[in-house]
Amino acid sequence: MVLVLFTITAVSAFLVALVNDLTKDTIEQKRQQTEDLAKLEVLPAYDGEVELIDTVRKISDFEVVVTTVKKSDGETLGYAVKAPSITRNGYADRITLMVGFVEQEDSTTLISGVKVLSQKETPGLGANMIKPDNKLEASIKRQPNPAKLVFKVKKDDASGSFDALTGSTISSRAYVNAVETAYAGYLWATGRLDLSKEAIESAPSGASAPSNKGAEDVAATGATTVEECGEELNSNVEPEAQKGELSNE
Amino acid sequence: MSKLQLITKGILKENPTFVLVLGMCPTLGVTSSAINGMGMGVATMAVLILSNMAISLIKNFIPAKVRIPAFIVVIASFVTIIEMLMQAYVPSLYASLGVFIPLIVVNCVILGRAEAFASKNGVFDSALDGIGIGLGFTLSLTVVGAVREILGSGTIFGYTLVEDVMPLIFILAPGGFMVLGYLMVLFNKIAKR
Amino acid sequence: MQTITNISQEILEAFASSEVITTPITLTAIVIGAIFVNNVVLSQFLGICPFLGVSSKVGTAAGMGMAVTFVMALASLVTWCLQEYVLEQFGIEYMQTIVFILVIAALVQMVEIILKKVSPALYQALGIFLPLITTNCAVLGVAILMVQKEFSLLMGVVFSVATALGFALAMILFAGLRERLEVEDVPAGLRGVPIALITASLLAMAFMGFANVVPLP
Repeated sequence: MVLVLFTITAVSAFLVALVNDLTKDTIEQKRQQTEDLAKLEVLPAYDGEVELIDTVRKISDFEVVVTTVKKSDGETLGYAVKAPSITRNGYADRITLMVGFVEQEDSTTLISGVKVLSQKETPGLGANMIKPDNKLEASIKRQPNPAKLVFKVKKDDASGSFDALTGSTISSRAYVNAVETAYAGYLWATGRLDLSKEAIESAPSGASAPSNKGAEDVAATGATTVEECGEELNSNVEPEAQKGELSNE
Repeated sequence: MSKLQLITKGILKENPTFVLVLGMCPTLGVTSSAINGMGMGVATMAVLILSNMAISLIKNFIPAKVRIPAFIVVIASFVTIIEMLMQAYVPSLYASLGVFIPLIVVNCVILGRAEAFASKNGVFDSALDGIGIGLGFTLSLTVVGAVREILGSGTIFGYTLVEDVMPLIFILAPGGFMVLGYLMVLFNKIAKR
Repeated sequence: MQTITNISQEILEAFASSEVITTPITLTAIVIGAIFVNNVVLSQFLGICPFLGVSSKVGTAAGMGMAVTFVMALASLVTWCLQEYVLEQFGIEYMQTIVFILVIAALVQMVEIILKKVSPALYQALGIFLPLITTNCAVLGVAILMVQKEFSLLMGVVFSVATALGFALAMILFAGLRERLEVEDVPAGLRGVPIALITASLLAMAFMGFANVVPLP
């Protein structure tokens, strides 16, 4: 009796392991492909060869990948940033986005596109963020200049720039958090992210924090970490391009 | 029972949702829109056909006492394998059905059919039973999803029917229970005729 | 350097220190969240089959609730350790579903055998419910959720016990309502499962009132 069950389990486990081995590389390859495609999808259309230069920033277990997309003439087409919602979870898991940033001639920045790379939100509610022209995407289209965005959901804070998806405030908060992380990653890669103590102290508190969360935990994050991240930490967070030099134009 | 009856019984006489009242968790969980209901139904049907066939093949080797764990292991392996294969070779389909696939493991329709049909019948009949019950399940889920989508967001299969703001409650949990309850009344009335 | 002021402290700190400082979730928030806000049956749609099937009497509903609590607590303890020390160690996370389901099935059998020997009285009370738990998707669902939410062992066990208590609460409330329905004059077409579903809908609506009471884990 036990032997039969053991045999069935062993055979099943063997088959699953076999299929996993067979499909692992293909899955990874396909994932990479969609990711590379997404990099170009979030940027303005461009015919011709492009060069992709990745700059990776590790934060805890997460990776923010800033890809500088260069045209064949060496000019930068834009930056595609892959970023997870680092400080806020969605309903089921982290949400990972690809966000495109393009520098304008008047040296302002525009968000040229957003694409959801991974999410496990509730179908019909939070999962609506993958639909074209959903409320979150529309909020960005309305105010494409990231410097003017207020990274909060309107429901939590009236000054916020983002309309939440209907019935999915939690998923929306995570989405906004990922956009914010992507913007921070973009600024960091282009050497414009001010991480001095003063800058952090003057920054708005608790990104997209639920308004009902109570003041004490927002205060707690502020108090414990401002002490720790002094000036000296800034030295080891300078962006390092993986391939070649990263031009700052 | 004729071969054709095996396929058609799942739609009315042995409808898994409305008559057998099996697999309620995915039925309520994913039917916030018609397309989601349909996706879950199709994914379940695929697993159901395969697991019915596999269990029918090995039914004679399994002692009655460890039947349930053995069936569950077979189903879970199938689901995991199908998930990996879809992810590797049809990623676009996986992107739309992917979220439902792990949920299939805990769908008691599959275990129910393994226990009630596949463990007592031949491979071919079990496959037909899988198709029949799978069709019935897909149909019911699509209907429940369509009703909830129309009432809750004013759309059907993504096409807008009503522009107004609709009562969101139908997309949320209470609406799921309620729509299913009233549809069951309607179904019983039609089926009795 | 152009100072950017619209990025929040949380994220600036994460970039400055290369660490995400997560606000620890209090155990109270986990307990209240799992019992009321995200009730396993009424808002997560897990464990509906026993919810509809074994809820005609308050007594049996309470028995089922107790049995589930017992198994869930044990299962979360074992699955957490397996995930941490076996699946992740050997990089075979894809075996999760199979391993968890086997663990739950084995645990249920074991609990049944032990109860029979050690406490015949408790076995009398819970015995008939135990085989039903193997097919209760809430047990597997909670084990997977616990891993997904990256809980510590203590938090995981607290979370699953609270979820099970939420299940028991929903069962008992629902059984109470159904006992009253038994003596009411229900229209013929609604009798049985349909009226039960509509009652569940109203109960789910009542539980929606708990939304946003605590931050989600």
